[in-house]
Amino acid sequence: MGQHNIYIVPSRPGLFFCGTIAILLIASINDQLSLGYMLTFLLAGAGLASMQATHANLRGLSLDLQAPQAVFAGQEAMLEIRLHNTGRARFGLGFRLRGTAEEATAWVDAPEKGHAVVRLSYAAPARGLYEVPELQIITRFPLGLFRAWSLWRPAAQLWVYPQAESPVAPFPTQAAGPEGEHAASVQLHKGLEFEGVRPYRRGDTLRQVIWKKAALALETGQALPVRETHAPASRELWLDMQDTRGALEARLSRLCAWVLEAERMQSPYGLRVGAQEIDPELGPQHRRECLERLALWV
Amino acid sequence: MKPIPRETRDVFFLLATIAAVVAPHTPLLPLWAQAICGLMLVWRGWLAWQGHKLPGRWLLVIVLAATTALVLLNWRSLLNREAGISFLCLLMALKTLELKARRDAFVVFFLGFFLVLLRFLYSQSLPTALWTLLVVWALLTALVLAQMPVGQPSLALAAKRAARVTVSGLPVMILLYLLFPRIAPLWGIPAETLGKTGLSNQMTFGAMSEIANDDSIAMRLRFDGAVPPPDHRYLRGPVLETFDGQRWTAREGPRRGDTLQLSGQPWRYQMTLEPLRIRAVPLLETAGGDAAQVLGPYIVRRGPELQWIASSPVTERLRFAAEAWPAQTAGAERSPASLQADLQLPAGKNPRVRAWAEALRAQPRFAALSDGERPAALAAAVMDQVRGNDFIYTLSPGRYGETTPHLIDEFWFDRRLGFCEHFAAAFVVIMRSMGVPARIVTGFQGFDAEPQEGWWVVRNSNAHAWAEYWAPGIGWQRADPTAAIAPERVQGGQALRPAPGALERFSPAVWPAVRGLWERMDNRWQQLILNYSRQDQFDLLKRMGVAQPDWIALGRAGALVIGVIALGSAGLIVWQRRPHDAWSRQRAAVLSMLRGLGLPSAAHESPLRWAEQVRQHFGAPGHELAALLMSLEQSRYAPEAPPWGWRESVAWRHRLRVAGRMLEANRS
Repeated sequence: MGQHNIYIVPSRPGLFFCGTIAILLIASINDQLSLGYMLTFLLAGAGLASMQATHANLRGLSLDLQAPQAVFAGQEAMLEIRLHNTGRARFGLGFRLRGTAEEATAWVDAPEKGHAVVRLSYAAPARGLYEVPELQIITRFPLGLFRAWSLWRPAAQLWVYPQAESPVAPFPTQAAGPEGEHAASVQLHKGLEFEGVRPYRRGDTLRQVIWKKAALALETGQALPVRETHAPASRELWLDMQDTRGALEARLSRLCAWVLEAERMQSPYGLRVGAQEIDPELGPQHRRECLERLALWV
Repeated sequence: MKPIPRETRDVFFLLATIAAVVAPHTPLLPLWAQAICGLMLVWRGWLAWQGHKLPGRWLLVIVLAATTALVLLNWRSLLNREAGISFLCLLMALKTLELKARRDAFVVFFLGFFLVLLRFLYSQSLPTALWTLLVVWALLTALVLAQMPVGQPSLALAAKRAARVTVSGLPVMILLYLLFPRIAPLWGIPAETLGKTGLSNQMTFGAMSEIANDDSIAMRLRFDGAVPPPDHRYLRGPVLETFDGQRWTAREGPRRGDTLQLSGQPWRYQMTLEPLRIRAVPLLETAGGDAAQVLGPYIVRRGPELQWIASSPVTERLRFAAEAWPAQTAGAERSPASLQADLQLPAGKNPRVRAWAEALRAQPRFAALSDGERPAALAAAVMDQVRGNDFIYTLSPGRYGETTPHLIDEFWFDRRLGFCEHFAAAFVVIMRSMGVPARIVTGFQGFDAEPQEGWWVVRNSNAHAWAEYWAPGIGWQRADPTAAIAPERVQGGQALRPAPGALERFSPAVWPAVRGLWERMDNRWQQLILNYSRQDQFDLLKRMGVAQPDWIALGRAGALVIGVIALGSAGLIVWQRRPHDAWSRQRAAVLSMLRGLGLPSAAHESPLRWAEQVRQHFGAPGHELAALLMSLEQSRYAPEAPPWGWRESVAWRHRLRVAGRMLEANRS
């Protein structure tokens, strides 16, 4: 932050302070008190110096924002702001979303030539992909007579997934697979049959890794060997919007809860919303893809 | 021991600060106010220590109403100075009870500064200044603490920050102090006298049980030629004629004045008069001249009783020249009828003294004398009475009038302890009882034993009261009963010293030396800092080379300083923005030169590349420049090349400039 984006105005106590100085000055003049003049001017000097000090408390501070963790609607989004201070210690730096109340301010001190972290949480808006809201950073240090602030719009986005339904409804009845096989409900086998070996792909579970051969593979610079499990179509779990009823948000909530549950149970799942399809798979990447799809669905 | 929680510690700090602010005011407060203040502070401290809740709002409102009522009952006003101070002190103590430590620091802060300023009405001495500094520091520290919401910052850290802010404000303070125009009071007039020894327009008999010896300087005199002998060192101040049995006051309203004839060889002198904050200008007796004089912002006139009065209380140091005649005849031709005011006595008061005076007057030895001779003989008889009895001159005579309304009786017959004003008052009452017009003159008497650098110093402790009586055909004569009882007071020019304190007795040699040093420091403080006046401001301007110092010049000087500061800070900002490492700056300089020569050099290229461009472009004449660029490349990129020192880089830059100029010349 520099000269061009820090704003500074006298605070309310600062205005009172001006009034006090004016009264002290008038009293000094009227009673011709030399020491009174001295006191008045000492305070005026300190007040002016505090303006500079308040400004300097923000000037030259650099900030960055950790990419915020995605949240589910209704949860608190957490922003983690890191302060990099190359100068002297700074005190009483307040962070809040622009336009929120004074009480919502998170305060932090930045040590000399050091870093500090401040966490700011706010209620996540409805599902979707959002710009991180504009942040206001304020300080009144040292005397509180001036209020310096700066506005910062971090270049970061926040994913808000739909609220997950709770408790989780049973998975939908799966339509007939290509082989015509029916499954009343998905049987969730933990140990799938051994079918072969292939290199590790993102999304493979740790369980699938053949740890006995892992050391050798790493030694020779190859990817980790993974058991190829045969995932028959009948065991694929399709989470389909068609299987839900009710308002759009409720349906998305249910789908979201299914995704989480399927992921938890390590059962490969696919997502079908409207005409869009995501093929069955497992893993954080897949889960994210699904949830993001749900978040953006209109 | 468990560490104290931050809130508690902050509250304690604030309480201590408040106590320090209020402490010097306590002698002014009535006992009940002192008790309430103390109680509140202790109560608040206890609540903080125990972690109890603060009292409810209603209780506070009731206490506030009660204290306001008490103040009003005591003074019947809140605007009276002492009432105001007491009320502020009480308010400050009360405020602590709804103090949430941090946010309320502001209220305490503002109240605190008013109380500090009010203190200056009573003292502006060096100790007061030191107290002010400490208290202001503590108040600012409390403010800084309030702005540190995180964790438990140490007091020392907050104090350091407060000190840093204050110190960075010092230049502003000094400039303002030097240049802010010292204007006359906006309305009203400054309060006269501040309860020191010294002068005022009234004198209350026996009200002061003890007078403090104020050794601050009242004025300095430098004589051109002879110096008057000790018994002529009287400086005439307010003349008090009206007596109500307890208080002497100056007469008001139009009245006949005394005519004056002077004789003898006058003493000529210059006077530097410190601001005494009274209207009287004490001049050495007897000053001549009838015309009003303009001294600084004041017009000074001779009053009917031959005292010199300024148009408003003198709050600036004045320098002027004056003359004093050793002999005078004042009011000789006045008729006794016009002197009734100088015979007036309060009815029914002091019957014993009046009876005694009438008996003295009735003594046959006075009957034979003429009207013109008799007053002098009576005065001499009274003086003999003072000398012949066990009267004691003391600065701590105790209070008079506590058991009887007849104060002069009490002094003349019963206690016989007093200082100049007691003796002068008794003398005047006795003379009036005997039908001789008489009045009290206050002023200064005596100088320091030795002049300082040619200046004779008169201190506030030289303040004095004496008497004058009138004889037909002769006029007013000075009579100083103090000279009868304590000749050294008048001859030596020095007031009696108070009884020696414990320290003085313990180490008689060291203590006076320490005291002397302190007094010199305090005096220096008074002279240099406190008495800085409009005159000094103009002198300063003169020394800065302004031929005609006036308000406009002062304003210009202020504007100039502000302008310089503004430009300076703008410059500083630009300076802070420029690249910070030497290499970036050097590269920018070299690049601008190369581009000036028409080369397509760019910042991301190395000096090696620039050298190649120079060779290509200029061929052989460019060899020198290319070599210089190569050496830059060497110094920057060659392994184990020592970095250039300051001298080397300056030399290099010089050679670079020369080479550049030569190429420039070649090109054109």
